[in-house]
Amino acid sequence: MIDKRSDEVGRIMKLREDTNYIVSGLERSGTSMMMQVLAAGGVPIAYSEARKPDVHNPKGYYELAGGKIINRLIQGTFPFESYKGTFIKITAYGLSYLPKGFYKIIYMERNLEEVLDSMETMAQITDENREKTKQSFKKLNEKIMKDLKTKKHTEVLFMNYNDVLKDPRTNIEKICQFIGPYHCDTPKMIAVVDNTLYRQRR
Amino acid sequence: MEEKSEEKKYTTISIPTQLAEKIKKRIQGTGFTSLSSYVTYVLREVLSGLDTEGSEEFSKEDEERVKARLRSLGYLD
Repeated sequence: MIDKRSDEVGRIMKLREDTNYIVSGLERSGTSMMMQVLAAGGVPIAYSEARKPDVHNPKGYYELAGGKIINRLIQGTFPFESYKGTFIKITAYGLSYLPKGFYKIIYMERNLEEVLDSMETMAQITDENREKTKQSFKKLNEKIMKDLKTKKHTEVLFMNYNDVLKDPRTNIEKICQFIGPYHCDTPKMIAVVDNTLYRQRR
Repeated sequence: MEEKSEEKKYTTISIPTQLAEKIKKRIQGTGFTSLSSYVTYVLREVLSGLDTEGSEEFSKEDEERVKARLRSLGYLD
């Protein structure tokens, strides 16, 4: 798997080497933005460039396995060991397949109507069964969030995408506290929160 | 219910005597060894029910709907 690591370009922050760090949340809930924020702050992240930036994610997707990491998780072939001490992105459904281990997870939440609007724009579809789809994603989100709260050896920080955009400083400080006693470059992290990318507003 | 505090891990809650008597009868012959253990059990069940209230189960149908959407977005084969 060819991937990029932010620590290869001069970042020096070292996170715990016994822990897998994950950015998660429903697709289109701000997970890519969070990866960008972390990278800007000097936090180690890993991703592949197989999925190129596009109009839906102009700054990139920041995913591994070309965005198909969920396939690897379902197959049980994802090498978690190789990514300890580094943030990777695994969207919500993939968290159902996490093996035992130590985890620190930043879980993104966003207004569900905005998430669905953004999904439909990206998939270029008009969902005829939108209410059913909404309920399914709502239930998935609730299930995953509930499971995370009780999962052993797992610390979770729930971050609301809309709140991050409204008040980047306060929320980025919470993220830095959660990550641990490391120096984050908070001004650079705040600069990443680009309101111009907030297109699906409700 | 009247229970003395034990090592500050417990507190005293009052319930009507008539209710306490009913519960005592109800727990006769069950695994509950005291009025307190039964009331604790019931309260835990009630609270756990409240926690999950409104959140329906993520069914197989929901899962298939989610997977279909993830495929359309390129997150899943």
